[in-house]
Amino acid sequence: MGEAAIGGLQVPLRTAAPARWRTATFGLPAPLLVTPLLLFLGVFYAYPVAAMLWRSIATPHFTTAHYAELFSSDIYLLVFWITLRISLVTTIVALMLGYPVAYLLARLPPARANLLLILVLVPFWSSILVRTYAWMVLLGRNGVINQFLLAIGVIQTPLRLLNTTFAVYVAMVHVLLPFMILPLFATLRGIDPALLRAAASLGARPLAAFRQVLLPLSLPGVFAGSLLVFILALGFFITPALVGGPRDLMVAVLIQQQVEILHWPFASALAMVLLIAAMASFALLSKALGVERLFGRT
Amino acid sequence: MSKEDAARIVRLLGGIGAAPPHLADFRRRQLISAAARLGVGAAAMAALTAPFAFPAAAAAAAKLPEMTSVPDSLKGKGSVRVCSYGGAFQAAQREAYFKLFEKLSGIRVIESEGPDVAKVKAMVDTHSIEYDIGEFDRGDVINLARKGDYWEKIDYSLFDTGHISAEYRYEYAVDMLPYGEILAYRTDAFKDAKPTGWKDFWDAEKFPGPRTLISGSGGLVPELEFAEMAAGTPPDKVYPINIDAAYASLAKIKPSVVKWWEAGAIPAEMLNDKEVVMGSAWNGRIAAIQAAGAPVEVVWNQGLLKRDAWAILKGTENKENAQKFCAFITLPISQARLSMLIPYGFVNSAAAQYIPASQLARLPTAPSIIEQLIIFDSQWWADNRDAVLAKWPAFLLK
Repeated sequence: MGEAAIGGLQVPLRTAAPARWRTATFGLPAPLLVTPLLLFLGVFYAYPVAAMLWRSIATPHFTTAHYAELFSSDIYLLVFWITLRISLVTTIVALMLGYPVAYLLARLPPARANLLLILVLVPFWSSILVRTYAWMVLLGRNGVINQFLLAIGVIQTPLRLLNTTFAVYVAMVHVLLPFMILPLFATLRGIDPALLRAAASLGARPLAAFRQVLLPLSLPGVFAGSLLVFILALGFFITPALVGGPRDLMVAVLIQQQVEILHWPFASALAMVLLIAAMASFALLSKALGVERLFGRT
Repeated sequence: MSKEDAARIVRLLGGIGAAPPHLADFRRRQLISAAARLGVGAAAMAALTAPFAFPAAAAAAAKLPEMTSVPDSLKGKGSVRVCSYGGAFQAAQREAYFKLFEKLSGIRVIESEGPDVAKVKAMVDTHSIEYDIGEFDRGDVINLARKGDYWEKIDYSLFDTGHISAEYRYEYAVDMLPYGEILAYRTDAFKDAKPTGWKDFWDAEKFPGPRTLISGSGGLVPELEFAEMAAGTPPDKVYPINIDAAYASLAKIKPSVVKWWEAGAIPAEMLNDKEVVMGSAWNGRIAAIQAAGAPVEVVWNQGLLKRDAWAILKGTENKENAQKFCAFITLPISQARLSMLIPYGFVNSAAAQYIPASQLARLPTAPSIIEQLIIFDSQWWADNRDAVLAKWPAFLLK
């Protein structure tokens, strides 16, 4: 028996004899069941990506000029670095905040856990735009946070919170937190609480039990969540544009600018490099851990 | 929320960011209905995006000037399909001139919403044209014209050209909606002096405090004109812009700029909330916060006059009617009626005489105001936009 993870959520997988598979697939050969999805992905994902790749190397004729332009410019590389930095910080903060929540959710009785889960999911289902605006309201000079700090006398003049890199981190962590909590929750729920009790009975202090038992067992969730958050963060556009400061220029903003001025080949090159960066971080992690661990086979 | 919905929302928001007020309002309404379909409270979405709402039409507007006849050259039969930006804005257009055109010319107006240059390209390419005439940014019209034969030439023999300045008349589009991009400041920020132009805006010692200027991304172009004037270029010598010199001047004020704005609502909100002491902004936005009591003043001097234009799609079936339609809309009374309903300017100089003095004083094209503005040179920008924007990221990060 094993488990497979779809989008970080683990589902039990039947690994029985081919005859049982037949029953499970209503008598249809298994490949047939995957065909619609493959067709869909082929038409709506693989083809556009290939077209984008083609545009980036074949416009106006075969050329590597667009990539050369990208990699020879310290400005574009700086934008990639800023993007990477923002994504990394967002991922780490989301992990630190998300792990305890996921652990609590996994240990509560189902009824109460479901209630809390709803609190995680409501923002997940509400628009990223609404949540970003909410931060604009909270972080503004006359926003709730400044008003509160002024009222209790901690500060005398309002702090500049909005339009800073700090605001980008806060808003992005908030938007992406559910993507961290859900896979973590799925993994942690699958870990038998008896293991921790066993560790304790063998003399492990809580911290040691966490470090030596819980953390290693939950690593697939940690990596799945971190990967999701990191890759989504790489492509962020709206949040930095709305709450960020003058220097929070991310790659997606650059791509949009190039699309607007009809420099599609260069925009495609930028997008390809971003895509490759995302795929490379995935490859790196699965190489380090093995694909199976990454996908939750514990 | 599905990925497509998310993508749609992101696209809509990006659209709001890049848009002048009436366009932002149109996209805001699209966004609210998208939110409703996703189960997000449309009311919440409406409240949150309220800053992007179109400034309310002048309530109980003074009696609009009437027109009782048009030249025979503007009469016809059949219909014309018109695409504008919907909402309060299109309602004002309907009241100002769509209905009047129907009555006086005998040509029926069929309205739609959401002009889109990329869609124009697709519609003309595939010969399935949905509207005859739309409201566009002139720069977009110029850029598409360079890609091929997508627009009808405007037939100026039908127009009141005696009162429409040559800058408003382009081969493939006629300007119909001017708006001001101007300096605005908080009156409570400076004790001793008042800023009077971009030199003062650039003077962070005499006028200390955070500032905001327009961004070079999100479909917008940086305000190199202002940078030139701050460096001492006289207003009538701004074009052609010396790009490097203008960027060098812009770099001098960069340390004081806390936000390069991409949405018309942002500078107005930042001024209103004291996030900045000065900024560039669109005049309609400032009029809205002034009406709500914000201590903010407009400096028209050295402002920039930008505008939207009507353009007719190549080979569309009602092209003659479309020519008559835009000729009618640029008549003095048509233009005056719209300016009385909303704080936008007019392209027909004879419109001023029909507008009450109190409303005229708020319009970027009032005779005493327009002489202080410089007219945004769409042609220069169409030729140089790419070169300017290519330098933007380096300017921002260096």
